[in-house]
Amino acid sequence: MNSTEPIPVARDLFRWSEDGVDLVGSHCEDCGTYYFPKGLSCRNPDCTNKRVTDVLLGRTGRLYSYTVQSYRPPALFRSEPWQPYAIGLIDLPEHIRVMSMLSGFDLDNIEIGTQVELITESLYTDETGTRVHTYKYSPAAAEGKAQ
Amino acid sequence: MRPVYVLGVGAHPWGKFPDKSQLQLAIEALTAALVDAGVGWRDLQGLVAASSRFEGGMGWGLHANEVLQAVAETGAAAVNVGGGCAAGGIAVHTAATMVASGECDMIAALGAERMPKGFIPRPPGIPNDITDSDYLRWVAVGATNPAYWAMEAHRRVHEHGTTAETYAKASVLMHRNAVNNPNARYRAACTVDEVLKSPVVSSPLHLLEVCAVSDGAAAVILGTEEQAKRLGVPLVQVAGSAIATGRFGDPAVRIPTVSMNPRAGTQHTSEVGGAVSSALDAAGMEQSDVDFIEMADNTAWHVLSWPEQFGFLEPGQSDWMIEHDELGIEGKLPINPSGGFLSFGEATTAQGVLQVCELAWQLRGQATGRQVPNAQVGLSAVLGLGANGASVVLRAG
Repeated sequence: MNSTEPIPVARDLFRWSEDGVDLVGSHCEDCGTYYFPKGLSCRNPDCTNKRVTDVLLGRTGRLYSYTVQSYRPPALFRSEPWQPYAIGLIDLPEHIRVMSMLSGFDLDNIEIGTQVELITESLYTDETGTRVHTYKYSPAAAEGKAQ
Repeated sequence: MRPVYVLGVGAHPWGKFPDKSQLQLAIEALTAALVDAGVGWRDLQGLVAASSRFEGGMGWGLHANEVLQAVAETGAAAVNVGGGCAAGGIAVHTAATMVASGECDMIAALGAERMPKGFIPRPPGIPNDITDSDYLRWVAVGATNPAYWAMEAHRRVHEHGTTAETYAKASVLMHRNAVNNPNARYRAACTVDEVLKSPVVSSPLHLLEVCAVSDGAAAVILGTEEQAKRLGVPLVQVAGSAIATGRFGDPAVRIPTVSMNPRAGTQHTSEVGGAVSSALDAAGMEQSDVDFIEMADNTAWHVLSWPEQFGFLEPGQSDWMIEHDELGIEGKLPINPSGGFLSFGEATTAQGVLQVCELAWQLRGQATGRQVPNAQVGLSAVLGLGANGASVVLRAG
C-alpha cells in the first residue's frame, strides 16, 4: 500500500474523486428514498419493490443540530491527538439527515442553519503510516452562514 | 382474554455491587416480589427474563432458565426476551399476555443488570464494517449516547427556546423525587446552580442532566383475578400493555444510527409513542386518564420532550410545566415520582421492570415519601436500542 495516500476509516463510507468527496449511500429506485450508509434494502413500508442502488450524495447541507463532546469516547473511536470536538446533524438536499463530525467551527459559537460542505480529515495515522480519514462537514466556503 | 393483576413487586436497590453476581441480584429481586405476593418459587408457572446484553450464564446474558436452574428446578416455562433497554417492559408485556391468554395463572417478569463502567460501549461479536451502525458511529463519528440526546436537546433550544435553567430544573426535580426512595442510587437533592456547575458532558447537557449506569434488579409477579383475590393482595390491574418498533420517517436521532429519513407528520421516538398509544388503547383510556408517568429519563431533555411527543402535553408546554412545578409529585402530571433514571442510573434491562414496580407501589399507596396523591392510573414508557419500545398501564382496583 502506498502509505502517502489516506484511506477511509470504514470501507464504502465515502469516495474521493478528482473534484472532491461524496458520501456513499443507497437510493431506492422505486420510492426515491436515500440512505446512508448504503444498506441492504429500502426501509419504507409503503415501498414494494425496494430496488436500491449505490449512490453518491451529501456534498452540501445545512446544520440541523449539534453538540460539543467534552469527554473522550470509548477506545473504538481513534482521534489523535484527542480534544473536545463538535458533532452535527446535517440536512442534505436528498431529504436525509446525516450525523457527522464538524470541522472549522468555533466550538463556542455554532449556529443551527449554517450551510456546510463535505470534507474529509485525518483521524489518526495507523501502524503502517497511513493516514485514516473520516468524513466531516465544515462551514461552506462560498456562501458562509445561512439566514 | 382474561384480566391480569399485579400480585407482587420487588427490587434490589440500584447502585454498584461488585461483590454480587448478576444472578444474585436477580434472585434477590424475584424473592422480594414473591414475598410481596405471599407465594413461593414453586407457584410460578413461568418466568420471563429481560435478557441482559452485558453478562449472564453460558454467554447468553441473563436468562430465565438460568435463574430457575439456580433456585427452583420446577420445570416452569422460561421465556427470554431481547429489546435492548426496553427488554424489561417487553418482559412485563410478554408475561401479561401469557396470563391473559390462559397459558399461565401466575408468572414473573424479571430484569437484572450489572453495568460496565462509563459510556456504554459496543457489544462484541459483530463485524467491523458499515453494516453495523454501532461500529460506524464509533469509528467515524465517535458519537456517545449522550451526544445523541444532546443534539435533540440543542434542537429543542432552537425550536422552543428552552433555557439551561429549565433543563437543570428537570434534573433537580428528578433528584428531589428520589430523596425518599430507598431503591434509588442518588438520593441527595441538588440545586439548579449545582447542576449548571457540573461538567458539560455533551453540550448543552451537564453531568447531572445525564443518567449514569448502575447495577440493579426488579421483578413483577402477575396473575389472574382469582389469584389476586385468593392472596388478598392490594388490587392493581394491568389495564393495558404494548410493545412497538420504530416507524419509517421518525425524526428521532436514534442510537446507534448515523442518519435518519425524517418525514413530516411521523411521530418522534415512534417505537415508544406507538407502544404508549397501543397500551392506552388496550386499556380503553386516553392520555388525560393517566395520573402519573414513569418514563425513561436518560437525560433532562427526555423529561421535557417525552410527555409532549406522546400526547400528554402540547409541544413546548413542558417548560412552563417545569417552571410551575406541575411535573412534580403534587403537580398536574407527575413525571417519575421514583426519581427516574437520573436518580437511579440506568441498569438497562432491569429499568422497564422497575418502572412497573413503581407504578404498583404508587397505586397501592405504598410509595412512602414520594406518593402521588390519589393515584389511580399510572403509565410506564421505555426505549430500547434498535428501535424497541414498551409501555404498561396499571390501574388501582
